[in-house]
Amino acid sequence: MTRAVRTPAGSRPALAGALALTLVAGGFAAWTGRDWYAAAHDDSAAYAVQRDRALAAGEQAVQNLNTLDHHRVEQGLDLWESSTTGDLHKQLVDGRAEFTGQVKTAKTVTTARVLSGAVTELDDRAGRARVLVALRITVTTPDSKSTEKDSRMLGELTRAEGRWKLSGLGQAPVGGTAAG
Amino acid sequence: MPTPRHHLNRERRRQALAGPPAEPAAARPRQRPALMTAVRDTATESKRGTATEPKRETVAEDAVVRPRRLVPPATLAVLCVLTLLLGGFAGWAHSRAEGLRADPALGNTALTDLARTSEIKGQTAAAVAALFSYDHADTGPFEQAGKTLLTGKAVAQHRTLLDGVLAQAARQKTVITTTVTDSAVERIDGDRARVLVYADQSSVSTAGTAERQPKTPKQPREQAQDQGVYAGAMFAVDVVHRDGRWLVENIDTFGR
Repeated sequence: MTRAVRTPAGSRPALAGALALTLVAGGFAAWTGRDWYAAAHDDSAAYAVQRDRALAAGEQAVQNLNTLDHHRVEQGLDLWESSTTGDLHKQLVDGRAEFTGQVKTAKTVTTARVLSGAVTELDDRAGRARVLVALRITVTTPDSKSTEKDSRMLGELTRAEGRWKLSGLGQAPVGGTAAG
Repeated sequence: MPTPRHHLNRERRRQALAGPPAEPAAARPRQRPALMTAVRDTATESKRGTATEPKRETVAEDAVVRPRRLVPPATLAVLCVLTLLLGGFAGWAHSRAEGLRADPALGNTALTDLARTSEIKGQTAAAVAALFSYDHADTGPFEQAGKTLLTGKAVAQHRTLLDGVLAQAARQKTVITTTVTDSAVERIDGDRARVLVYADQSSVSTAGTAERQPKTPKQPREQAQDQGVYAGAMFAVDVVHRDGRWLVENIDTFGR
């Protein structure tokens, strides 16, 4: 009590004000800090990022595997191999020689455009995903005739060394199949 | 607060101030020591009972009090710095959190919100099946679907897509059945979503020869089966959540 009396009359409100401001600032700091931590450790955010990465990689890989120019078969097939992993990769490597011969004989130029794509399943932990990619493929024959064809692709992705790669690719079957 | 003593002290202070010449009343901190010690002197004297020599004690106290008087400005400064630091951190943390949240990946809750994703998939599949299935003998469900499942420009798109088909179907007594075989939600943004759909359609004509019935957007492949024609279609639909249901708002046939 005596002490309170002794405090210089002028600095007491200033001190109280400063203390209040500090406390308010401390409160904000704690709140925003927590918020930041929550945002940085948001599981669903990390999952969303993986989803988008898998989709981007899947769309690109599907497009790559439907693009081939008979003038540059080797580069094209190198790209195919670098876009894939697992069984699909093995198939491509095994069938490379045969395929190169076919394309060089046919002299076709195939290009593909992704119309739309979406992820159906994503197992972030196991590093596996399934994607649907709607593709428009244009095949140009040596006589400069080109045909367009739409493909309903089903892709399977596997994450290898932090990168999503295609491990399976096929077309959605038509007719008589049970609804999936 | 003990008011009597307070008053007493104040009186003493005044007297003390009046004593030394030319001391301004609104004493600056520097000038307070004398007055404070004087006050303390009287206050402590009785309390401590150290009734030695008052003069000596004053000197001793003076030395003790001086650093204590310096504390408030220092404390103030520390508090100010602390306030600035904390405020600065708060601002920075906030901007970092906002930056993390601004990631476009987070605006899309497809798959991250599993319940909503499967709800959208289910309702879209049901809607597509209803909208693109037609039975010449019972057109009720088809008409009902057109009225209840479409909104906005999808109404006109649906009509354009099916007009020719329906005329033919009515003539040939066709039963068209559409089944969604695969679908995936591309994006969910609040009440809106976009779904990529792969669907199979079978057309069975009950009036003579089976004929191909191009009905939905596109048929990448067609293949004759026992009693009809199957066609695969792919398209994307935009759906919007209204009154607890997902309605088709746009049908994107990818320019076909």
